[in-house]
Amino acid sequence: MNFFSRYTGKYGKKFFLAVFFVMCETVCDLILPAIMAQIIDVGIAGKNMEYVLLKGGFMLFITALGAIAASFRNIISSTVSQKFGTELRLDLYKKIQTLSLENIEHFDRASLVTRLTNDVTQIQTLVNGLMRIFIKGPFLCIGSLIMAIQLNAKLTLILAVVIPIVGILILINMKFGFPFFIKVQQVLDQLNSVMREYLSGVRVVKAFNRFDYEVEKFNKANQELQLKSVKAMRMISVFGPGIMLTVNFGIAAVLWFGGKYVHLGEMQAGHIIAFINYMTQMLFSLLLISMVFNMFVRAKASTERIIEVFAQENKMKWDLYPSEMAAIKGRIDFQNVYFSYGKMKEEAVVKNVTMTCMPGERVGIIGSTGSGKSSLIQLIPRFYDVTSGSIKVDGEDVKEINPKWIREKIGIVPQKSILFTGTIMDNIKWGKENATVEEIETAARIAQAHDFIIALPEGYQTKVGQGGVNFSGGQKQRLAIARAFVKRPEILILDDATSAVDVLTEEKIKEAFKQYAKNLTCLIIAQRIISVMDLDKIIVLDQGEIVGIGKHSELMESCEIYREIFYSQVGKEM
Amino acid sequence: MSQKDEQKTEGKSQERNSSNSDNVGGIRRSLSGRRGRGPIVKPKNFLATFKRLWYYIGKEKNVLAYILLFLIVESFLTLLGPYLIGLSIDTISASNGFVDFSALEIVVMALIFVYVTSGILTFLQGWLMAGMSQRIITDMRRVLFKKLQSLPVAFFDIHPHGELMSRLSNDIDNVSGTISQSTTQLLSGSIMIIGSLTMMMVLSPFLTVVNLLTACLVILLARVIANKTSKLFKEQQAELGRLNSHIEETISGIQIVKAFNREDKVIAAFDDVNMKLCEVGLKAQIWSGFLMPLMNVINNFGIALIAIIGGILAIKSIITIGVIASFLSYSRQFARPLNDLANIFNLLQSGIAGAERVFEILDEQEETADLPNAMILNNPKGHVVFENVSFGYRPDVSVLKNVSFLSAEGSSTALVGPTGAGKTTIVNLVTRFYDVTNGRILIDGIDVREYTRDSLRRCFGIVLQDAYLFSGTIRENIKYGKPDATDEEVENAAIMANAHRFISMLPKQYETQLSENGANLSQGQRQLLAIARVILSKPSILILDEATSSIDTRTEIHIQDALLKIMQGHTSFIIAHRLNTIRGANNILVIDHGEIVEEGNHDFLIHNEGVYYQMFFDQFKILREYKV
Repeated sequence: MNFFSRYTGKYGKKFFLAVFFVMCETVCDLILPAIMAQIIDVGIAGKNMEYVLLKGGFMLFITALGAIAASFRNIISSTVSQKFGTELRLDLYKKIQTLSLENIEHFDRASLVTRLTNDVTQIQTLVNGLMRIFIKGPFLCIGSLIMAIQLNAKLTLILAVVIPIVGILILINMKFGFPFFIKVQQVLDQLNSVMREYLSGVRVVKAFNRFDYEVEKFNKANQELQLKSVKAMRMISVFGPGIMLTVNFGIAAVLWFGGKYVHLGEMQAGHIIAFINYMTQMLFSLLLISMVFNMFVRAKASTERIIEVFAQENKMKWDLYPSEMAAIKGRIDFQNVYFSYGKMKEEAVVKNVTMTCMPGERVGIIGSTGSGKSSLIQLIPRFYDVTSGSIKVDGEDVKEINPKWIREKIGIVPQKSILFTGTIMDNIKWGKENATVEEIETAARIAQAHDFIIALPEGYQTKVGQGGVNFSGGQKQRLAIARAFVKRPEILILDDATSAVDVLTEEKIKEAFKQYAKNLTCLIIAQRIISVMDLDKIIVLDQGEIVGIGKHSELMESCEIYREIFYSQVGKEM
Repeated sequence: MSQKDEQKTEGKSQERNSSNSDNVGGIRRSLSGRRGRGPIVKPKNFLATFKRLWYYIGKEKNVLAYILLFLIVESFLTLLGPYLIGLSIDTISASNGFVDFSALEIVVMALIFVYVTSGILTFLQGWLMAGMSQRIITDMRRVLFKKLQSLPVAFFDIHPHGELMSRLSNDIDNVSGTISQSTTQLLSGSIMIIGSLTMMMVLSPFLTVVNLLTACLVILLARVIANKTSKLFKEQQAELGRLNSHIEETISGIQIVKAFNREDKVIAAFDDVNMKLCEVGLKAQIWSGFLMPLMNVINNFGIALIAIIGGILAIKSIITIGVIASFLSYSRQFARPLNDLANIFNLLQSGIAGAERVFEILDEQEETADLPNAMILNNPKGHVVFENVSFGYRPDVSVLKNVSFLSAEGSSTALVGPTGAGKTTIVNLVTRFYDVTNGRILIDGIDVREYTRDSLRRCFGIVLQDAYLFSGTIRENIKYGKPDATDEEVENAAIMANAHRFISMLPKQYETQLSENGANLSQGQRQLLAIARVILSKPSILILDEATSSIDTRTEIHIQDALLKIMQGHTSFIIAHRLNTIRGANNILVIDHGEIVEEGNHDFLIHNEGVYYQMFFDQFKILREYKV
């Protein structure tokens, strides 16, 4: 896992320190049964009170030592795993933030969230576990074996039989048990999706009276889940007793053969107790190891998912970072632009678009859903790179400039107005970190949002709930416009951003743009023809191509599709 | 979520593995320690809920009886183990150097018998338990889902789906998992504790007192640490929640983050919350991490103490070496369930709390039953009358006030007005998704409440703004309203809905698999499928609730064609934002604040120069200004 390498350098030393303490802890654990044996065989058998006390004291001392080691280990392992997890999460978050939208489209947004939360936690748990038990398991196992051999080499033969059997049982359990649980998970997912669909489509189900069908679908998945779960659980129920039985047979064998050796005078009773102790400790360590394996399997999936994100490379390259602002401000040129989300050119959603927006011009874009309007304007702030052709902002080819520089000039109001938790003020300030109250209010006035904001009891300090739940669609859109405007951009892009605002207010907003920002280049995507018909220039898109460009009156004459849109909305008689 | 579940099932299996073994108490402890970390949710009424739960568990009485019997026998056998070990040690060490093999043979044979029997019993328990607990879960899930069928739409409107999902899956899992496990553990634990204690008392009362002292220390320590950590874990949970919502927000809004060049800012904010989480998480982990080693120390301290005192006693020949050996085993068996008891009880509580949440749904008010002599509405003429209808989703807020109107058979009625005026509510009432608070609604002259709900809804065809499609093929989706439709009927419906064309262009045509909610189709295409679905079900009354508002106007024209075709001769209700869409309606109801403020056809309302006139011409005001 070379992706861990950047962290091993940082946490490696501490990691090994923790491992060292785990070893100390284990050694202490290992010594205890031996002392115990001595107490029994020497102290008690020899009726030597002093020896018992001495060794007893020594036992307490070792115990304390082990505890101290364990405490240090706990502090170190907690620190390392927590800090590592925190850093990994931050790095992953940073990575995601620097990826281009094209990269991000590879992932489901929800899955990115789980990667940042669950998956990181999963790995963090593994790292912590590594320092706690992974080292301890094998060490305890080998240590116990050595101690056992020292006690009586011949009895170790019993171990040679018991331990491999237990090991094989654990292996079989993991090998066969795991696929069962994967199956259970799959069926569970199915069941969940039946439920989720039912919940989302409940009106449809009710409207069509399809209860029986839904219940049947659910029962089928439910039965399947029961079947698979029972199988998986029964599979498991064989192994626990199996392992126990094997070990217990071992104990019986140790007692029997041990008795023989004691009879022959080769060992003492205390040794038998110690030997049994070591044997159970070995079993314990084997179970520990199997647990770690399970953790590994789980963390492996998580690690892969995280690596997948880290492996994404931002394909956008730029060599220019214009130091001074270009001479022209607010000009956009499209030159034979093709764009497709996939690789193939046939699937292009924008085809051969050539157009120019001059500074201060107000340009409308209209067309049916799926005609490529949003895709077209996404190219300007370089959310995506064109497949072929070129786009110039202020005379600079966007493909060669740092996107940050372009985005600095552009204000965007997206289709879906997304607000963030915080106050209204905070949200508008997104556009300009150090905006004054005056600037914010002006922006809000332009967006026709000021009036409804001050009508709120807390005015600009009103808290915005997650996703802006406490505002209506039109209010959210106006806040989003204010947010974009406070930036004082050279270019303003409204992507169907006034759909929930009524016609009169929309008109006021457009008027305000004209008044407050004369040189502002404005691109307005709209569904309503009324929203664009008074603009300086209207671009009609159909299936990714420009089919008409010009003023309203010109388009009414020349563009069939524009006329269609017009009549579909306004009616023939107007 | 899925991963968490996986973890849970796996955790469970491991726990099962280890809880069956008496020598490896440490594993179980560390596992359940991790699981019990979250803040403990206490049930409101433990006993009452448990009694209700018994209804489901009680169905498995026979299996349960067997499990309990095996459990009790096995616990006693497990208790016998250490005693036999001690006995065999004694036979070995009785007279130095001389071992009584015939006695040892008997003891070892007895030991093997005990081990084999308890192994078989454990296996049988696990086997039976697997079947039983899964049957109980399946049964509960089935009952709950069935309950969902009879709940009114209001219920689904109020409860977030995520929450319902978690009740259906997590809570039910929790119920069976934790309850079956924790009750058996509680039982076997109690037997262990009492049994070990008795055995210890028999072996050596003095050593027992010593042992109890250390046990008290362990419990005390666990208490202290649990108190400290539960607060920290709560804090950690809160920070985690904050971090999660920051992540959710900035990931789903990443385009805005980028558009405003705010990457550095959101990273800084993330860093901030992340660090706070780290801080409190670290504290929580260190504190809870101390529990295990400290408990080990005390336990080992106890062992050392027993070794010393037992040694002294043995030297004085008060007890034998075998007694020390078996006493040590018993003390371990005594300590383990004692340490776990609190934990298990918490698990049980959270299981009961889960059951409570499940029962809450089962207690929800169902849609009122049909009247005993309810009529079946079949092919109604479609004469709809609202008589002084008032309605509120909540008793204190009325949404509709005294609404009366009439839709003649075969006529089209449009409902217009601002959002929240009550348009959709009217639709919800006609279809009896909700029942009126006052007044009545008549179809063909009879109160809708006197029809069976089933037959009533069968008469309606509803097209909603958000066309909901199920995962399955396109054909299955169109057939949803009429499962026995022939392929030809399906295609005809698609042709009428103007959907056939785009379907034929898909590589797999009608067999195209739709993902959940038809995400692989465009909004317009989904809407066309929804309309085809309605056409196929041949409704008598058609309802279009903003059916075309998320579609661009050119596509809308095509859909409108389809809609006009099916509306022909049928009573229909249309809700629309775009006034142009509803101009042709026979009757337009202008609704505001739950009241009808104007009524009439387009020409009449325009002539009237009222609210509708205002709304209509606001749209075109700009048109006139620009003189087009």
